[in-house]
Amino acid sequence: MVVTEALTTRKGDKPKVRPPEQDDTVRAEREGTRSPVRWVLLSVLFVVMVVPVYLLVVNAFKSQQDILNNPFSIPLSSLTFEHMSAAISSPQFNVIGGYGFTLFLVVIVDVLCIALAGPAAYAIARSLKKRTQLVLLYFLAGTFIPGAAVIIPVIYVLREIGLANTVTGLVAHDVASTLPVSIFLFVGFIRTIPVDIDHAATIDGAGRYRTFWTIIFPLMRPAVVTVLILNSIGIWNDFVSPQILLSPSSGHYTVTTAIYAGISQYSTDLTKVFPNLLLAVAPVVIFFIYMQRHIISGLTVGAVKG
Amino acid sequence: MTRGRRRARVRESAVSLGMMGPAVLLYTVMTVVPVGVAVYLSLTDWDGFSTAAFIGFDNYTHLFDEPSSTDAWYVTGLISVAGTVLMVGLGLVYALALKGKSRTNSFFRAVAYFPHVISALILGYLWAAILGTNGAVNNTLAKFGIEPVGFLFDEKFALVSLIAVIVWAGFGFNVVLFVAALQTVPAELLEAAAIDGANKRQINLRVVIPMIAPVVTVATVLDLVGLIRAYDIVVSLTGGGPAGSTQTFTYLILARSFEGTKVGYATAQAVFLMVVSAVLALLVTALRNRQDQAATGR
Repeated sequence: MVVTEALTTRKGDKPKVRPPEQDDTVRAEREGTRSPVRWVLLSVLFVVMVVPVYLLVVNAFKSQQDILNNPFSIPLSSLTFEHMSAAISSPQFNVIGGYGFTLFLVVIVDVLCIALAGPAAYAIARSLKKRTQLVLLYFLAGTFIPGAAVIIPVIYVLREIGLANTVTGLVAHDVASTLPVSIFLFVGFIRTIPVDIDHAATIDGAGRYRTFWTIIFPLMRPAVVTVLILNSIGIWNDFVSPQILLSPSSGHYTVTTAIYAGISQYSTDLTKVFPNLLLAVAPVVIFFIYMQRHIISGLTVGAVKG
Repeated sequence: MTRGRRRARVRESAVSLGMMGPAVLLYTVMTVVPVGVAVYLSLTDWDGFSTAAFIGFDNYTHLFDEPSSTDAWYVTGLISVAGTVLMVGLGLVYALALKGKSRTNSFFRAVAYFPHVISALILGYLWAAILGTNGAVNNTLAKFGIEPVGFLFDEKFALVSLIAVIVWAGFGFNVVLFVAALQTVPAELLEAAAIDGANKRQINLRVVIPMIAPVVTVATVLDLVGLIRAYDIVVSLTGGGPAGSTQTFTYLILARSFEGTKVGYATAQAVFLMVVSAVLALLVTALRNRQDQAATGR
């Protein structure tokens, strides 16, 4: 506001130097929230971002004929739950069953990641030794590895240690892939916590582990929330690792692999496509709406610090 | 005394090692060793089943020989560069429009951002259903008597559609990132510029954007490195088609590994991709640092 005021008062006593059309757009921008440029920008944004979701929701409750003839309309009389319930109970590709397994993966990977990354980050953050700092670099190098591209050698390694095609193998791979970013964020955060706190705990007789878990870890809450959100979204949405490390014969489907198995077969039957996609998207979107502020600030922290 | 201190130091190191050990071990076995294995396999003719024979750098010398791999590089390069430019550009435009702290602004930020939490595979299927021959867009065009457009089935359009969907799904992240950075720009600075007679556009171009340049660099690196690995969305949106015109490098690598014929060759491509993405990230960061030094080091 102050800026706008300063600009308008200043404008009065300055000679015009710009051509008229340009002046118009500048003035339009200057009017701030009410400017037509901004209005157009936001309308385009709203339409482009929301219409696909609208189509997804509306068409999940229509017949193939309705979807093809009037994709945008809401035919109140002929809306049907038929295809949605068919999708829910479909034995061919079980999206609802996928929820359970995916949620299990998310929780177990989250827990193991915190259990491993927390103490490691604490040891790194509190050490002044060069070789400990090299450990941090060692982890950071992991962020350059394109996971999807080197997944085939992961199969090779899993086969050697007898974990090929097992849930344990997939969990081990997923946890390892979350470690670099988690440790990086934790180290940055722990360094902002005064060392005096650790010393006080030591004087009171606490060992390193106890100091970490009972004193430092509770102070790391913002960083822990960020890491949990990052990892959970990452694991929930992951497609390549479960698809490749768990073959369909294992009988385990995540939401993404179930969708892949189903939709790639029935892509022309839109009464199968839309309900299943809606089922796959709904939990994430509800979670997002509920946690919106945390998710956005959490993910931003990760990137701004990088 | 010294012995006691040494013993204490040894114990201290042991505890440190105990705290880092499990993480280092798991990360080494599941991430670093596979990279080593990839390097080894890339020097062999392994087909996924039989024993691998060492063939030296043959795979690497053939990296650009065959047309499908050259095409995949062209596709990957175009997606990364065009995608990054559009995502950073749109990110800046919308961040400047939405930087104020108001309810409307945070609503629109969330609207721009939401695809980021949804799996790329699912977004691809959704857009495939919308842009397909029978999709909502073509059915609407048909009502106006316009022939269906092969957004995903015509070689002329498929790559453009793919890039458009990728940008749609990704630019919101930059918006949020840039808004966070913009909110740290001190108001006095903008006021000073305004008092010196700068108009809003000049303030944005000369003051605001240079102030958030480090964050723009981060976004550029993240976008580039992310897009160079594009895979999930290709699988679900175009399946690499039509006629391979949207095959990215990662898509090619995985498709080939699955055919199970040239795993050695595919891992050579994977190793090469890894090197390229690391070099890109380091290069952009180094360029940025030099610019920063040139700006402040006078």
